[in-house]
Amino acid sequence: MKRTGILFFPAFDWSLGDSHPEREERLLYTQEQLFEEGILDLPQIKQFSPRVASLHEVLRAQALLPTPGSQTDSLDAHLIAAGSAILLGEARVRGEIANGFVLARPPGHHSGATVWGNRGFCTLNNEAILVNHLRAQLGIKKIAIVDTDVHHGDGTQDIFYHDPNVLFISLHQDGRTLYPGSGFVNEKGGPNAWDQTLNIPLPPGTGDEGYHFVLEEWVLPRLRAFAPDLIINSAGQDNHFTDPLASMNLSAGGYGRITELLQPDLAVLEGGYSIEGALPYVNLAILLALAGEDYHHVREPQKLERPVLSLAILKPYLQGLKQQHQTIKPNFTIQNKAFFPEGNWIYIPHSVYYDTEGFQENRHDYIRQCGHCGGTVYIESQRSSSQKSCLVRIPFQACSECEQAGYDLWDHLLRHSEDRTSALLQNQFHDKFSVWQRKEGLTQF
Amino acid sequence: MSNHVGIDVGGTYTDAVFVQDGHIQHTAKVPTRSENIVETLMDAFDTLRIVDEKSINQIVVSTTLVTNAILQDRIPPVELLLFSGNGMRVDALPWPVGYREFFGEIDFRGREIEPPDQREWEKVLQTTGLRENPAHVAIVGKFSHRNSLHEEQLAAYLRHHNSSLHIAMGHEWGQANFYRRSLTTYLNLGVSDLYHQFALDLQSAVTTRKIKAPISILKADGGILPLAKIRPIDSIYSGPAASVLAALTQNEPAASSIIVDIGGTTTDIGLILSGVPLLSSKGARIGAFSTLVRTLAVRSIPVGGDSVIRTTDQGFSLESYRLGPAYCLGGNVPTPTDAMRYLGLIDYGDEQRAEEGLASLLPQDQRTPKLLHELATAVIDEVVDRVVEAVDSLKREWQAEPAYKVWEVLHPHESQAFHTLVSGGGARGIAAALGKRLRTPVQLGFLAEISNALGAAMARATFDCTLHLDTYMKQYRVEETGEQGKWTGSLRPYLEVEGFLDALAQQQAARYEIEIQDVEKDPFDFFPIVQGYKTVGQIVRGAFHQRPGVIGRVRV
Repeated sequence: MKRTGILFFPAFDWSLGDSHPEREERLLYTQEQLFEEGILDLPQIKQFSPRVASLHEVLRAQALLPTPGSQTDSLDAHLIAAGSAILLGEARVRGEIANGFVLARPPGHHSGATVWGNRGFCTLNNEAILVNHLRAQLGIKKIAIVDTDVHHGDGTQDIFYHDPNVLFISLHQDGRTLYPGSGFVNEKGGPNAWDQTLNIPLPPGTGDEGYHFVLEEWVLPRLRAFAPDLIINSAGQDNHFTDPLASMNLSAGGYGRITELLQPDLAVLEGGYSIEGALPYVNLAILLALAGEDYHHVREPQKLERPVLSLAILKPYLQGLKQQHQTIKPNFTIQNKAFFPEGNWIYIPHSVYYDTEGFQENRHDYIRQCGHCGGTVYIESQRSSSQKSCLVRIPFQACSECEQAGYDLWDHLLRHSEDRTSALLQNQFHDKFSVWQRKEGLTQF
Repeated sequence: MSNHVGIDVGGTYTDAVFVQDGHIQHTAKVPTRSENIVETLMDAFDTLRIVDEKSINQIVVSTTLVTNAILQDRIPPVELLLFSGNGMRVDALPWPVGYREFFGEIDFRGREIEPPDQREWEKVLQTTGLRENPAHVAIVGKFSHRNSLHEEQLAAYLRHHNSSLHIAMGHEWGQANFYRRSLTTYLNLGVSDLYHQFALDLQSAVTTRKIKAPISILKADGGILPLAKIRPIDSIYSGPAASVLAALTQNEPAASSIIVDIGGTTTDIGLILSGVPLLSSKGARIGAFSTLVRTLAVRSIPVGGDSVIRTTDQGFSLESYRLGPAYCLGGNVPTPTDAMRYLGLIDYGDEQRAEEGLASLLPQDQRTPKLLHELATAVIDEVVDRVVEAVDSLKREWQAEPAYKVWEVLHPHESQAFHTLVSGGGARGIAAALGKRLRTPVQLGFLAEISNALGAAMARATFDCTLHLDTYMKQYRVEETGEQGKWTGSLRPYLEVEGFLDALAQQQAARYEIEIQDVEKDPFDFFPIVQGYKTVGQIVRGAFHQRPGVIGRVRV
């Protein structure tokens, strides 16, 4: 019998606004359904209680800008969701459970490597914080994240874009038809992690059959080839046919099958806003599938009445997509700044829109090309046209040259801080994080 | 003047105590005759020799009647009829009893998704004896605690065809958990005849003696309810609850303590946090039945002063059974009591025999005072280890309580300064070692031999009234009573709902003859219900509680 952990944290006293989709009510009916089914009485189910993530744990994956203490909205709920993911992940790695479901609010997959606020309902990236915790503290090397939320997991992609040891796969409704408008096949990873990002945009109307076909034909073989130590499923539930924000046609049973196919070590709730028509049933199906129980009797009351995209249409589409994916070759621009340490630095400009508060972040990312490690990353980030911050990341398992390059960059930043508000040295290699800010100087986290 | 009698029916003995204004006046102990509990109770009562029986205000009884009937499988068959709907397969969970499933589905808001199919009901009438014979029938629907419609329909249908049926419905247990609600409804109905006979007999026996004092029954959650008001299944596991209450009568009111009651073969362990006994977050489990019965979080471990010690290759092992009294008290086998006697921790039992008993565990050539002393100490340590393990597991249960709100996570249980209260026959023997291991001060409980009766005598009513209000569906429900009613107030009530819950609680207290002294109110949870970005109503949850406690402190 598989032992399945559940961490249910519905944040019943937290919302992004009274009638916001991310509100108190979101997991209320899921609680009613799970408790009424007696799911906690299944002998293989073990319930865990949440904990708060520390800023140290957050900074391992994300730069909170301009400084960790300056986030305008309270981070409490987000820190609990992230801490919950860590807690259940640790239980999995220690073998207390065979798999688990972090059924927590708020979600996180739109939150990227630099964070100026909330976007796409996300402030902290729960999975990324979990993944880097397991690598830093529990010796896990290779992790795959499969994002089955209907929206492109752009934040997660951003965080691991240069990380050769994290495979990120996102299946989502085509970015030309849905927020956040990214996640195309040509986004395949940075220079040192080429092909470690796989985006599969799907046409609106895709249903269970089509989705499962994509998993079996493309996702599972890619997973097998990578052979990760752990698989994490960013389990958004907005592919459901009743979702008010998207246009896909999956059923609750279809989600059960996704879980059965992926066999994730951990599923982490992401989006999904059909809080009555889908969530109670989808969450139940996922949990049953994780626990090795029959999920075929889980049936949402509403019937699917829209036309579902047939396999006959989807198959040639996918074939084209795959071909396109194969033909795309790395094409990067080298752009060294005068103060950069030795090496070739790839320049990737990047801009991020924060829809919750309505402002733009403009980024200039530079990655040190390296054949030995993930490569040191240097990011200049500016919120609208005001504050400017920098991030220096020394990656996990950094080679000595990249490590040194990171320190040299950091030294330079501390000595030349003219137009900057703050900076973060994210030393993943030694698990040390330093924040510099104009007023208070250096702080260790 | 308060005059309280507590009687605890145990497996072997029935104990009684008479407490007057916090002073113990008389105690009694009589053998339990399990075939006639009412006579046993009256026997214990008579042994108390209370002069002025008319002055008694209250009699509280803690009895294993229902517990034993269930554990010994002495309950008549109950026909269990389920509206199981869609979702998890019913047989994913272990069912200790048979059931029949019917069409018909309700959802979490109490909406009818699929109506029942009467043709199925006809078939059941034809193929079973339900049409003619008197029988017990439990009807339970998934989400019936949100809407009892299908249960009521089937019950009416069956009653129409056979008025002799004894029918119980699941929604009367108004909490979530279809599985536990089904089994709780089943068990409560199953033991109801037995219990009602007992209640009648006891009431008439008491009335015959012209005693006017009301009789109450102790429940698993440490509360009491009048004999005629309690749901029989709630009377299970009152024994361990009584021992926690007994500790409360000897504690400072707001103290946090670990309660260890070490008996002959069993040790009960409980936790009191700032004066309130810890409740289990899940319902009681009895035999193969998981129920919704609210219960104190207690651990019973099979270790006690009379547990048998046997030699093994590694030294000795502490068994979970008893073979008569300790060696030093005339028994045939060495026990922890002999180790306590040998070390001089207790003053009863024969010292010489204690040494002999312990010596029998060692090879001839090793029976030196030094090695005997080491052995005796190791035995006590082993008992203490088992107790500490159970204490740790209880503390883990307390700390691992799930939290569903940001506020709860940010305000975790404070680590408390505990003290340990040890009572029972072996209390003196393990007190010092236990205090050292738990790193807490240790206090010895008094009157260990009648502590459960004392806990019963001093118990007060517990009270819970949990409201679930859906203003959009215009429905309210009360968890504890299963009451379902129509809401006529506003869509977004605020102060209104407080008054409403107040009134509900008053009614419920009156109905159960409960005096509410210090009520605790949970903060209300308000969930705005949104449709298309418009708030169309609210789900409101709130609750009143009177926590388990005692009516006062006791002095010897």
